[in-house]
Amino acid sequence: MRASEEQLRIWMIGGLDGDADAYTALLGALVPLLRSFFGRRLRGAADDVEDLVQETLMAIHTRRGTYDRTRPFVAWAYAVARYKMIDQFRRTRHMVQIEGLEEILVAEGFENACAARMDIDRLLGGLSPKQAKAIRDTKVDGLSVMEAAQAAGLSEADVKVSVNRGLKTLAARLRGEG
Amino acid sequence: MQTDDLIRALAGDARPVPRHAVERRVGIGLASGGIVTLAAIAAALGFRPDLGPAMQAFPFWMKWAYTLSLGIGAIAATLHLARPDAARVRWLWLLALPFGLLLAAAASELIRTPVDGWPRLWLGDSWTRCSMMVASLSVPLFVGLLWAFRRLAPTRLRLAGAMAGLASGACSATLYGLHCPEASATFVLTWYTLGMVLATLGGVLVGPRFLRW
Repeated sequence: MRASEEQLRIWMIGGLDGDADAYTALLGALVPLLRSFFGRRLRGAADDVEDLVQETLMAIHTRRGTYDRTRPFVAWAYAVARYKMIDQFRRTRHMVQIEGLEEILVAEGFENACAARMDIDRLLGGLSPKQAKAIRDTKVDGLSVMEAAQAAGLSEADVKVSVNRGLKTLAARLRGEG
Repeated sequence: MQTDDLIRALAGDARPVPRHAVERRVGIGLASGGIVTLAAIAAALGFRPDLGPAMQAFPFWMKWAYTLSLGIGAIAATLHLARPDAARVRWLWLLALPFGLLLAAAASELIRTPVDGWPRLWLGDSWTRCSMMVASLSVPLFVGLLWAFRRLAPTRLRLAGAMAGLASGACSATLYGLHCPEASATFVLTWYTLGMVLATLGGVLVGPRFLRW
């Protein structure tokens, strides 16, 4: 059964006040809503749908302060979902332009970077900026998860999730699936 | 990662979020940037020596009325655009009002002055520096806003960047007024406005890149 707008809003406000149970209920109830939201728009691509559902849940989490308690909740959540979907389209389109990458890197002052660094940049360039930064901070620059989270202004969970998801994507790409 | 694990991770991180978190965050960002800008003015330029008496005269408040009203309008627009479900900003044209009023003030000033006094009104003593100062002093404020936006959710990035740029430009111009002794409306209309336009353009250019989330 789908939760009503009123119920979701109550859970959301509970979550904003620090009630972890209400918040868990909210996120759980959002999953089917988001799956059908993206499913209708992406017809079939199940992996993409699940990726977007997770991205949206994370965005809803980090940006939950932008929800105004006096306004409809579902409209807000769908606005986040819509943005994430458009962002995904933009990103996949950008990933095609891999040929220009060296110029982009040089133009951004990477010309002194060593060859290994270039390879890492090339690989990370295909990820979302957030995932790339999380991996770079924790796996290349050697920060702890806590330090990386503080530096990026994110939660530790968020950084861990970004690293995991980014590494998964990289592994798939190195195996030639991506 | 499974979606259920993700939910567990996120729920474990459900710290309370204060009411008016958007306003609070933008306020903190602007205030921190403003402190840096103010310190830069104090250290590198110095406040105008006649600041006390000047604050009791009309030109100072004309400048502040202009830059502050633009700043308040741009901050309101920035707050609005920071929410993903923001409706269209229908009142954005109101930002043209302060410009229109100052234009009228400049016109009446020029009419009252003989033509050979116009260059003086228009260029003052510092026209070569003023715009660049306003634009560069807006950078700390803009950085403060970029920090604030890390937890905000703009969906129209270019417009949000423009309004953040204008907000920082107008705040920077307001603070620069503590240093700059120019008193003519024509001067402010040209060079302050140019500085704020530069700050806005900067926001338009970097908005889509730095406001993504």
